[in-house]
Amino acid sequence: MQKGYKLNFEPVKIITDSQVEQIHSASLNVLEEVGFKYESQRALKLLEEHGCIVDYNTMTAKIPPSLVEWAISKTPSSFLLRARDPEKSIRLGGNTLYFMNSAGARHVDIDTGIVSMPTLEQNNIGVMVSDYLESVNVYPSYTPYFELEGVPPVMSCPVSCAQRHRFSTKPSRGAQPTDSFIWETKIAQAVGAQIMGCVEGAAPLSLAEDPCNAAFHYLDAGFPIYIASGSIMGGSHPITIAGASVSHNAELLAIIVLLQCIKPGCGIIANNFVSAMNMQTGDLNFGSAAIALHQMAYNQIWHYHYNIPVNNTGSAFSNAKIIDYQLGAEKLPLATASALSGANLIVLHGGVTAELAYNPVLAILDDDVAKTIGRIVEGFTVTDETIGLDVIKEVGSSGTFLNSKQTRTMWKTEDYMPKMFDKSSYQEWINTGKKTAIDKAKEKYEEIVSTYKPVPLTPQQDKEIDSILKEATEYYRKKGLI
Amino acid sequence: MADFLQQLKDIVLNFDIDSAEKTAKDAIESGTDPLQAANALTEAIRDVGDRFGKGDLFLPDLVCASEVLKKAFPVINEAIEKQGGSESSVGKVVIGTVFGDIHSIGKGMVATLLYAAGFKVIDLGINVKGEDFLKAVKDENADILAMSALLTTTAMEQKKVIEGLKDAGIRDRVKVIVGGSPINQEFADSIGADGYGSTAPEGVKICRRFMGIE
Repeated sequence: MQKGYKLNFEPVKIITDSQVEQIHSASLNVLEEVGFKYESQRALKLLEEHGCIVDYNTMTAKIPPSLVEWAISKTPSSFLLRARDPEKSIRLGGNTLYFMNSAGARHVDIDTGIVSMPTLEQNNIGVMVSDYLESVNVYPSYTPYFELEGVPPVMSCPVSCAQRHRFSTKPSRGAQPTDSFIWETKIAQAVGAQIMGCVEGAAPLSLAEDPCNAAFHYLDAGFPIYIASGSIMGGSHPITIAGASVSHNAELLAIIVLLQCIKPGCGIIANNFVSAMNMQTGDLNFGSAAIALHQMAYNQIWHYHYNIPVNNTGSAFSNAKIIDYQLGAEKLPLATASALSGANLIVLHGGVTAELAYNPVLAILDDDVAKTIGRIVEGFTVTDETIGLDVIKEVGSSGTFLNSKQTRTMWKTEDYMPKMFDKSSYQEWINTGKKTAIDKAKEKYEEIVSTYKPVPLTPQQDKEIDSILKEATEYYRKKGLI
Repeated sequence: MADFLQQLKDIVLNFDIDSAEKTAKDAIESGTDPLQAANALTEAIRDVGDRFGKGDLFLPDLVCASEVLKKAFPVINEAIEKQGGSESSVGKVVIGTVFGDIHSIGKGMVATLLYAAGFKVIDLGINVKGEDFLKAVKDENADILAMSALLTTTAMEQKKVIEGLKDAGIRDRVKVIVGGSPINQEFADSIGADGYGSTAPEGVKICRRFMGIE
């Protein structure tokens, strides 16, 4: 199993216990009095059987607080996500932090910022690079690219899922649109893996038919579920962080109620993908302070009050169009705030340009960022050995610690030394061609592409995936979608 | 009457949604010419639109000003109709986000700016099926059809609607403008749209051009 990083100190809490209760109570109030729209007769019937007041005309269920509390209590504090290579499985929850790959619709050129439709080969290389990177523990759906040249849009999720399993042994999350969950479930089962099912709400307060169907399908397959309700503060959620916290809470709690009614005790990780709005353009404003605060309060409520594993997506993207200072400055503070407040999963590697683009060279740089954050959350130990009072006394006011056994044996574990960042002296930097971190990451990219060989599927598994994709193509063709 | 005309401008410029309907009613009941009242509101919303374009005002200001108009205009339009007149506009636009897509903000901005620019806007909302676009274009005798798509997977819906206009024999009656994150000029050309706006203000400029207003 992949180890991840352990949060070894008290998480940062930014609201009081009383405020946590206030947000929770307001969320229950919304679900009881306003209700939640489930665009599925099957889901509504099940919820009615569990005590919800259902209006089939508006497809809304008013959820009693007791049912919400029951659903929270049934959700385990951690769950195993089995990869095709057991060594790459992960246990999400508890005090462990993992990192998830980010994604983008298209491929962005590092030097020009120009985006283009990625080929299947570029997609496969992107997966392979992330398979190589130690700090990428799991993939979301349609990763690394949303769009693939020559692949019909409706097939992009199944094909992306197939290629992730072909070029990586790490676990994946599935998708929910247009019955893609049927094929992604089959692909995972064909290689002996699980995928995290995907059930994403549509703010405000609704869950479309596709994710409802996906919930039944993925749970029937015995898979754990990733839930989310992407929204924009000031648009589909209130502009205030407190108000957005209540709306978001209510949405995710409503989804958890449905999942636990379908399969009590199922594993769930709840994602926070609440964004801020750029009030000049209406676009998403990535890397903002409001997102960081929302996520930190969210981690406090969900991880430490509800005891449910949490995922943060705020640091996955930047509004920057190229890898530059803005990109780092928008992604890193959010990722750090997420980690310090107890996130179990942070989406980070490779996403550029507001969800619209991706480049594996950035994923290589993000590997160093993830490892630095991981090192921070692990904290440090305070023992007689680590204090080393005898060494301090021995060096006194005139010696050095460099030649001590303590330094020699402990420096590697006390700090993390990034591999891509430029740490050379000025003269070395001049003499070696003034390489930037991006230059070094490009070189690393070339090295990975030319030397790294991911563990292949067996010929039988490969053939079975081909057969599943053919079946999917035929299915969508019959529906007139291809 | 001048005082009421200024009050009508003020409710828009102060984003005073709560007073909008009452101010409009008071203006009409006190004998204000409804056509002049409509002009006052239109002038004010254009001012808001211009200030938004310059970056002096922000999206919530624009949307709230638009809400003021939605409350005030029905009262004034009713008075215009009683006088035997009709609403004047520079053109009629049917707008919506295509089927499968629930993103509303960009579409809403364009609708508001079009409204501010004097267009009559029929906003069909989000997740609009192709047949509903076609029906609205026919029923409303629209001058322009504006379609938004934020997802690559839904962008092709725009093409389906344009094909539908052709099949229904009404393609020549309406100009089509498309927009959204995955859309660009090349894509717009490839699906047979008449125009593409990369931003909401640019979309409005193109719509004005469609109507022969530079």
